[in-house]
Amino acid sequence: MFPYSEASWSVVDGAMFIGWGTALPGITTFLAMVACVVVLVIGQRSETAKAKKFDK
Amino acid sequence: MEDQIAELVAKVAELEAASGGAKVTNTVFAETYYYLTIPLMIIIHAGFLAYEMGASRLKNVLSSGVKNILAFAFMIPTFYFFGWWVYFGFPTGIPGEAGPMGISGIEYANSIAWGWGESAQYMGPNIADNISGVFFGAFALFACTTASIMSGAVIERIQTVGFIILAVVLGSFAWVVAAAWGWHADGWLVTQWGVHDFGAAGLVHAVAGFFALGVLVNLGPRIGKFNADGTANHIPGHNMPLTVVGLMLIIVGFWGFLMACVVPPGEAWSWFPDKFATIYGTPITLGSLSFNILMGVAGGIIGSWLFTRDPFWMMSGALAGIISTASGLDIYYPAHAFLIALSAGLILKPCADFLEKRGIDDAVGAVTVHGTIGLYGLIMLGVWASGFPALAIENAPTISLIGQIVGAIVFFLLGFVPGYVVSLILKMCGMLRVREGAEIAGMDAVKVPAAGYPEWGGDAPITPAE
Repeated sequence: MFPYSEASWSVVDGAMFIGWGTALPGITTFLAMVACVVVLVIGQRSETAKAKKFDK
Repeated sequence: MEDQIAELVAKVAELEAASGGAKVTNTVFAETYYYLTIPLMIIIHAGFLAYEMGASRLKNVLSSGVKNILAFAFMIPTFYFFGWWVYFGFPTGIPGEAGPMGISGIEYANSIAWGWGESAQYMGPNIADNISGVFFGAFALFACTTASIMSGAVIERIQTVGFIILAVVLGSFAWVVAAAWGWHADGWLVTQWGVHDFGAAGLVHAVAGFFALGVLVNLGPRIGKFNADGTANHIPGHNMPLTVVGLMLIIVGFWGFLMACVVPPGEAWSWFPDKFATIYGTPITLGSLSFNILMGVAGGIIGSWLFTRDPFWMMSGALAGIISTASGLDIYYPAHAFLIALSAGLILKPCADFLEKRGIDDAVGAVTVHGTIGLYGLIMLGVWASGFPALAIENAPTISLIGQIVGAIVFFLLGFVPGYVVSLILKMCGMLRVREGAEIAGMDAVKVPAAGYPEWGGDAPITPAE
């Protein structure tokens, strides 16, 4: 997934990360955002469930 | 006409003078750059010290510290005596022939890395050599890091001298061979297999982690760790906050560690006159590190929080986040690095539990955090970066999944085999484990003529080993 047509660093003059020029950066950014939200939702649910065990 | 020529000559002289000044500035910058990585990396050791002492029970707190401090002290001279020479001597493998870049082989190592003869000029103060000392310093601190990684795993039952021998074998030999082979432009893993491990996930972390595993097999668990039916007891350290702060200090120090993985312009080994390069000569920016280290730390913490909710594992997750992305910090996209680090945080605790269920007592999870996750990161890069040139030369070998797997196997063996063999020899010589009575009494009482908490007497909590 080298983002330049020739596999040589001598042709690189700008962005040089994995997936540059494809949908991968957008996909990973979206997935990272979703992951943050999902972790928070799971965290809230499990913490609430545990806290309820201490109700008197 | 003559006036014009004179004017031109003056202009050329002026430009040459300016260019010379820029060159000197670049040299001083490179020297200062590396110099600053050294105290930053010493923060890693402040972190490991706090982390290990916090993870030890009250009766062992100072002896764990003594062991860690001594490892640091022995690593520096032994790396000076022969570790630096090994790095330059064997990139092409054995018997140490010169590589195509002209910066490797026994002859080259003899000319720059021995502390005697003509070579000694590069191993001490030299007004014409700004870089050897600071470059050596950065590498010596990498060596110290490997020893500290192993140090945490073996706390509370290892003999001091036996441990120092193991630390020297790991820090001044085993990982150095891995670095020569996979972290040098002439390294055979790079030139033949396209191995790319920018931030040393495999050649520092995995080598040290699996070296520790080899030692743990012979060292055995702490008394009281496992019950007769094989189930494990948790042996809490005496100070979790100290451990967690220590882990955070390691994260701080890793900025220096990863900074030292970059070759700045302006010194004898620079790849470019005007930009930073990796140790393979491929281009990099410090901006890449900033993006990806931060996202890696964050991903690792979030991933490990999900299953553990434990600050020890969360901060271990931060380390795992960096280590899992370290091989490709130069070329990952930040969100991509975040996801890989998140996955590393998720698998961290299950991997540690897997080892514990097999009777391995790794007191701080070092085998998992550094060993398993190091190899995971190395292979992840093979999955995602196939096709990237591994060197900055024409027709360079490219990164591939197969190449990264080969690298992972080699790094595993370079860690595990010497760790197992040397610790077995020490065990046979009676130099590996402290006597049972001393372990039960506490190693501070045996090894250290001082008390960690002199006002806290015999009412410390009883732990399973007692």
